[in-house]
Amino acid sequence: MSFNTKKIKKNAFRITKDREVTALRIRVPGGHINAKYLSLIKEIADEYGNGTLHITTRQGFEVPGISFADFEEVNKKIAPILEGMEKEIGVKIADPREGYPAAGTRNVSACIGNRVCRYSNYDTTEMAQQIEKNIFPNDYHVKIALSGCPNDCIKGHLQDFGILGMVEPIYHQERCIGCKACVDNCHKRVTSALSFEQERVLRDEKRCIGCGECILQCPTNAWERGEQFFKVVIMGRTGKKNPRLAKPFLKWASRDVVIAIVNNVYDYIERHIDTSLAKEHIGYIVDRTGYPKFKEEILKGVELNSECEIADKINWNGYQTGEKI
Amino acid sequence: MSLTAEKSLKNPYLSQKAEILEIFQETEIEYTFRLESDFELNFGQFLEVSIPGYGEAPISVSNFTDQWLELTIRKVGKLTDRIHDLEEGDYLYLRGPYGNGFDFENYQDKNLIIAAGGTGLAPVRSLIEYAGNNLDQLSDFEVLAGFKDAGSLLFERDIKRWRQKFDVLLTVDKTCDIWGECVGLITEHIAELHLENIANTEVIVVGPPPMMKYSIIEFQKLGVPDDQIWVSYERKMHCGLGKCGHCKIEDNYVCIDGPVYNYAEVKEIRD
Amino acid sequence: MGFNFSENGFNQLLESLNQDYQIYAPVRKKNKDSFSANDLITYDLIKSLEEIELTVKSKYSAKEIVFPIRETLFHFVEGEQFIASDTDDKYIIFLRPCDRNAFKRLDKIFLENGPEEDIYYKRLRENVKFFVIECTSGFDSCFCVSMESNTVEAEDYAAFLRFEENGVSCEVNDQDLAVEFSSQAEEIKFEPQFIEKNKVEVKLPDREKLTNEVFEHQLWTEYSQRCIACGRCNTSCPTCSCFTVKDVLYDENKKSGERFRRWAGCHIDGFTEMAGGHNFREDYGDRMRYKTMHKIYDFGERFDFDMCVGCGRCDDVCPEYISFSKCINKLSTIIEEGV
Repeated sequence: MSFNTKKIKKNAFRITKDREVTALRIRVPGGHINAKYLSLIKEIADEYGNGTLHITTRQGFEVPGISFADFEEVNKKIAPILEGMEKEIGVKIADPREGYPAAGTRNVSACIGNRVCRYSNYDTTEMAQQIEKNIFPNDYHVKIALSGCPNDCIKGHLQDFGILGMVEPIYHQERCIGCKACVDNCHKRVTSALSFEQERVLRDEKRCIGCGECILQCPTNAWERGEQFFKVVIMGRTGKKNPRLAKPFLKWASRDVVIAIVNNVYDYIERHIDTSLAKEHIGYIVDRTGYPKFKEEILKGVELNSECEIADKINWNGYQTGEKI
Repeated sequence: MSLTAEKSLKNPYLSQKAEILEIFQETEIEYTFRLESDFELNFGQFLEVSIPGYGEAPISVSNFTDQWLELTIRKVGKLTDRIHDLEEGDYLYLRGPYGNGFDFENYQDKNLIIAAGGTGLAPVRSLIEYAGNNLDQLSDFEVLAGFKDAGSLLFERDIKRWRQKFDVLLTVDKTCDIWGECVGLITEHIAELHLENIANTEVIVVGPPPMMKYSIIEFQKLGVPDDQIWVSYERKMHCGLGKCGHCKIEDNYVCIDGPVYNYAEVKEIRD
Repeated sequence: MGFNFSENGFNQLLESLNQDYQIYAPVRKKNKDSFSANDLITYDLIKSLEEIELTVKSKYSAKEIVFPIRETLFHFVEGEQFIASDTDDKYIIFLRPCDRNAFKRLDKIFLENGPEEDIYYKRLRENVKFFVIECTSGFDSCFCVSMESNTVEAEDYAAFLRFEENGVSCEVNDQDLAVEFSSQAEEIKFEPQFIEKNKVEVKLPDREKLTNEVFEHQLWTEYSQRCIACGRCNTSCPTCSCFTVKDVLYDENKKSGERFRRWAGCHIDGFTEMAGGHNFREDYGDRMRYKTMHKIYDFGERFDFDMCVGCGRCDDVCPEYISFSKCINKLSTIIEEGV
């Protein structure tokens, strides 16, 4: 049998161990799914696959055991998912009956966010869906994850872009009862940004990571929930060569700035990607061009909010996997 | 809001300035400050004492006359550390007096025994002075004072003077070479008391909470009824006016209903 | 005297009252509660009817208007004390019967307990007029009927208001305000209504049977495990009146500063801690016992009515889902069945 594997892969199907058997990958932008789609996915698994489902690390579903011969039919079958979970949020899909138009840029994943979690500083799913709309479909390999707070439960530190929610805590001394719940908690669980002097709380802005814990701790709402900001950590990765945690790129960035820099990534990749490789990941491109070049290009045309801090230098250490342990 | 210098006498939160006339060292960490005073005081009352900027604390008046009062202050925190830096001629800020204090009528013509532990001697010192000067108004009078060790002994010069007039049993929990007095917890010495006329005996117990608890038990064992036992309670207080709530125990506000209680009335109450 | 206002008419009334009064009412502050994207319902100044939030119970009560969370007692400069002079500000507070009754509790402590009136409370309290909001259905956690604080007497309010679909009906008792009301509305007959049954009912323990034996009951040890001593029950309570007095020195000049007071709470660490470190109530279950007894027994022993007004805010705000009404009912059951 003859199949164009490139086309199949671009269509979000996998080339598997077994000849002529593929697996369908379903994106769940923002990691939150209307339960009604689960019955459709189940139907596909039962009818075309082997009745099992794999839950991916990127919060998608993979339906294994589908015959190559069925993939066009399966594409038609998943049209409601493309319609409801992609087109609905603004992703440009020419024909939802033809399956996913690209697979390079991965599902934009997100922690459960403030629809449920008390710690989250924003609606991660909603913002993930906005980013999905802006960058998908795209063939370049970019991984983005959004976390509601600096706890980073979604592991944004292992992504090309980890977007972590921050909030500016605003202190109202006239509402403070000096219980020090915020100060104690900041010392125990966060960065010791808070101290208590002359019967008032002081916040060291350099140490504060905008997690909002002080707001949550306060029994009198003396800490007001101020403006929403983001920390962006970049170029974390796993992989066979040089796994490493992402490092901070922006702190106190506005939502508009985050959206704008993510949009700019694709032009940067376009200019610098080594096309001789099958699919060069963005992290390796940054390794080659160096951080200053990346920074210059990704911030091009971006109007930074006044609070936004940018890393001067970034030194990703990670480790070389070839070294003796 | 504009500031006015009106020093309203109606404002019970304002303090009055009092000059330090003399300072006596009691122990390494306790000093007695004698201050000019025109307060009308009763034995066992307390004042809210402060230095602006360093806070305010309730402190028992440890002795007084018409011209002066004494405060015996232990160095335990920001305010008292600062007070200990003061010298004669400096000022403290006072408001009060607060609390009911000891009513001497309750002890008139009685056998009065005062058991004091550590700094508990301060709130009864003025009463002891008065009793010592008016022994004819009592049938008998004895003081038992317990301290941790010789180094924490308070009012040594007074005790010498008192002993010329009435019995003062001094004891320390831990002895040392120079100590020529009794040794052992105050409770052990209470147990050894021979009370001849229990019906005519009144007992005052003041000190740290555990000392008070166990001393009362010993007096009860000797047959002293609860309503002949008197206590003075120490609690956290921020106003002295029955407002701030820190000193409330059940329906009692120690600052206004106490600090002196007949034990029969408060034996059941719990913090 | 009863009146009926259209929405416009009522707004005109508010506008004219605003000339002389600062008007406080429960309002909705978008996205301002502790958790993100949650609205904070709390007291603030209003100018129009639309700003008043009537559908949800406010997180904090109107207590903070008359007993501010932090209040300067006096300033000092070089050892001289200066009290801030009285303001002539006058206040109107919109509040439900439970919260109006809560002020009766605060009045007891600040104006009657002890040898002196609290002048700081008094000087604000004297300038307050209460506009009671008719409340006939309450909210899920309310138990005002059990605490007998569901009703108010005519002398307790300047005005009593019923918010209706197309306007406001009300009764005015305050002669100073009657003119303002009558000039902008038609006169009607008005009879205040009160809630008669809450979803939550509380049975208070029989005072006669309530002895200190119950202090040792394991009921309290359960709370030792559950309570985290955050103090939200205290800060949201319309009747908690405890405070702490502190001094600060201004940074610029170490010789000047202020003495102020701020709310304290019996659940919060340090409430009973004396200089030197001794603490009279370390255990959280003991704190729950202390608060419970104060709210439904001790206060009533000292004054004529219980402290708790059954507003249920402490239930609403407890992060550990400790329910005060449930606690009272458990206590009653224990007392009934014999400790």
